[in-house]
Amino acid sequence: MNEEILHPVMNMKWRYFKQRLFFGAVRLSAFVITFALLGILAYILANGFRAITWEFLTQPPTDSMTKGGIMPAIVGTLYLTVGAILVAMPLGVVSAIFLTEYAKQGALIRIIRIGVNCLAGVPSVVFGLFGLGFFVVFLKFGSSILAGALTLGILILPTIIGAAEEAIKAVPQTFREASLALGVSKWNTIFRIVLPSALPGILTGAILGVGRAAGETAPIMFTAAAFFTAVLPKSIFDEVMALPYHIYVLATAGTHIEETRPLQYGTVLVLIALVLGIDLIAIIMRSTLRRNKRW
Amino acid sequence: MEKDFIIRTKNVDFFYGAFRALSDVTVDFEKNKVTALIGPSGCGKSTLLRLLNRMNDLIDGTRVEGEILFEGRNIYAPDVDPVEIRQRIGMVFQKPNPFPKSIFNNITYAPKLAGIRDRGEIEALVEASLKQAVLWDEVKDILTKSAMTLSGGQQQRLCIARALAMKPDVILMDEPTSALDPISTAKIEELIDTLKKHYTIIIVTHNMQQAARISEYTGFFYLGKLIEFNATEKIFTNPDVKQTEDYITGRFG
Amino acid sequence: MKNRKHSLTKHAKEIAIRNLFGFFAFLSVLLLGLILVFLFREGLPLFKQISVVDFLFGTAWYPTYDPPEYGIWPLIVGSLAITFFACLIAVPLGLLSAVYIAEIAPAGIKEILKSIIELLAGLPSVVLGFFGMVIVGPWLQETFDLPTGLNIINAAVMLAIMAIPTISSISEDALYAVPREFKEASYALGATKYETIIRVIIPAALSGVSTAVILGMARAIGETMVVLMVAGGAAAIPEGIFDAVRPMTASIAAEMGEAPFRSGHYHALFATGIVLFMITLAFNLIADYISNRFRETGSGTL
Repeated sequence: MNEEILHPVMNMKWRYFKQRLFFGAVRLSAFVITFALLGILAYILANGFRAITWEFLTQPPTDSMTKGGIMPAIVGTLYLTVGAILVAMPLGVVSAIFLTEYAKQGALIRIIRIGVNCLAGVPSVVFGLFGLGFFVVFLKFGSSILAGALTLGILILPTIIGAAEEAIKAVPQTFREASLALGVSKWNTIFRIVLPSALPGILTGAILGVGRAAGETAPIMFTAAAFFTAVLPKSIFDEVMALPYHIYVLATAGTHIEETRPLQYGTVLVLIALVLGIDLIAIIMRSTLRRNKRW
Repeated sequence: MEKDFIIRTKNVDFFYGAFRALSDVTVDFEKNKVTALIGPSGCGKSTLLRLLNRMNDLIDGTRVEGEILFEGRNIYAPDVDPVEIRQRIGMVFQKPNPFPKSIFNNITYAPKLAGIRDRGEIEALVEASLKQAVLWDEVKDILTKSAMTLSGGQQQRLCIARALAMKPDVILMDEPTSALDPISTAKIEELIDTLKKHYTIIIVTHNMQQAARISEYTGFFYLGKLIEFNATEKIFTNPDVKQTEDYITGRFG
Repeated sequence: MKNRKHSLTKHAKEIAIRNLFGFFAFLSVLLLGLILVFLFREGLPLFKQISVVDFLFGTAWYPTYDPPEYGIWPLIVGSLAITFFACLIAVPLGLLSAVYIAEIAPAGIKEILKSIIELLAGLPSVVLGFFGMVIVGPWLQETFDLPTGLNIINAAVMLAIMAIPTISSISEDALYAVPREFKEASYALGATKYETIIRVIIPAALSGVSTAVILGMARAIGETMVVLMVAGGAAAIPEGIFDAVRPMTASIAAEMGEAPFRSGHYHALFATGIVLFMITLAFNLIADYISNRFRETGSGTL
């Protein structure tokens, strides 16, 4: 035995007590977060499901929006979201290809990365101001689907870039080397080998972007959203109703806030189902993707 | 003279999931001697080493059968706390792994957790440990600098000093020189030679010359089995088992 | 010769593609600049009427009075107050949940909790605003016998829910990135799991964790719908956590619809947007700096 023994086991109890305390706090935090999500969902579901009828989903609002359905808002949100993804998807994928395949180091890349990170951090209401100043006023698009979709597209661009980058990085280097070693050009290697392998991952990212775009309110308040339209939009220069804005309007403006509560809950439920449904698809897609990875 | 065995394993089997990594390993480690474990990669020598201070507990889906006795007590008995075992059986890893803290704080990390608060005692401990690891002269003026700034060889000696600060009874070394250059390797080997006066050292190595140079006993592992355990001299000159001889003479492995 | 020419054009094509892609990638930076340009274009005219100092530190926000007053200090204080209390809730919850996911939770629970946090991140802010309005607000009002349940604390709680996923997921990545060697070294020295987490893993992940907290704060300060719906809307400097406030984002969202085109009010709202943009930009640049600076060297001497 060594003469001096450093470790009296006396304080082991205290050390394990601290550990139990900490683990307790950690588990509690996980529980609180879970409870918050489930609590909100359960409450909305419990109050909203009664409002959901076929008419609610397929009819426009009537009686100064105190009755009727939310069909124009659903359609409007669909238009805006599809428009946003059409803007962000090509831009995002091309940016991601550049960032991962063409230039990995250097000042330019550094600047682009900082730019993307900062763009991701711009508050949504500032996107709204930008959309108003640039698309609506300067480019004279007016408050329209076009202006709203462009604004939302820029908003989700960083999300798409991030997801596409990750998907492209996950393609094994050996795939590229095999193709390049056969004398295939870099561009063709990217287009025929890298992108097809990364496609599921890119799509997952795109779906998450769709979910984000569908739920945003502030960016479309000044660029696309109408308080009320009886008819559906005929061109991309028309204003539209949108689900998130409709919720805001019903819940805060007007003289019938209490009366229209059921409509509000119903609209919230539809929006949540839409957004979280989309997210859930992406999450499930991603986890099956990981499990069935062929390489 | 009666031999004093500090660690004895009895019929140890070890499984990663369904894979049996060790089968029926029985071996006694003598106190204050250097024992080397050799064998080709994947033969189970590192696995056995990590069983001796319960580091394999950290890997999910593993299972141990048999007994490992440390000073006569089975360390896998349900009432044994692996933390206490690890306080008395130190470990040095293949790749030097100092914490991203200062040199001083690397040494004091474990003693402070063990409850030593007195500043003077701690400073004395740092100096003693670094001297024992023959690192003191090189770092005594930069104790507050990050350990990450040291060279690989210095980092490994720091890791040894860090283990010594707990005044363990046994030090396990898992290929401690495989990531180092020849000069650093020689320093560590010298160090091991001086340390064995006070500590029991069990070292895994893939370098047979190293085993021959520094150890008193050598165990040869192959495919999860202990093929031969003998005095080092015997193993390297006249092994009992043919397989050992084949490995030593480089006929396989 | 022919072959050579062919390969030359092929090479030229590759370069052209590279540059084209580079341009599109650079578009993110251009857009950031463009945002700034248009905020300034619509916001700067305000400062013909009022000085920057009066704008930032003026304590009266009466944009529709005659003469109007455009002091956004109460709005800035409102934003900061809500962000502060939101972080007080979100930082511990986010960090602890990250520790749970990265170090403690069994594999099954880990996956479920990660999905839950991702879904929480996906909740539209207008939904949280609505929830805060119809549930938390009335509950606060009744429980604490307040004139209104729409106040700082309500907004802070709802904002915390929005910031938790950001903090949790970025911290979790940082915790995962801590090399296994550090953990092994700690365990081998006889540290408990708690000690290893607190003294080795979290310090080694500190840059990532700080980035997470800063980005969480940026998220909270820039969030609009929640504060628009539940902060109460009073453009006055608050005296307690049960006071109503009107943060910058809420002011912009609520008033832009009513502000006459290119009026002083309109310009003032854009100028508020500039302030907001600058604050979040600063947060993001700091986060970027921290995460880069420590990526190579580790956290150094702790």
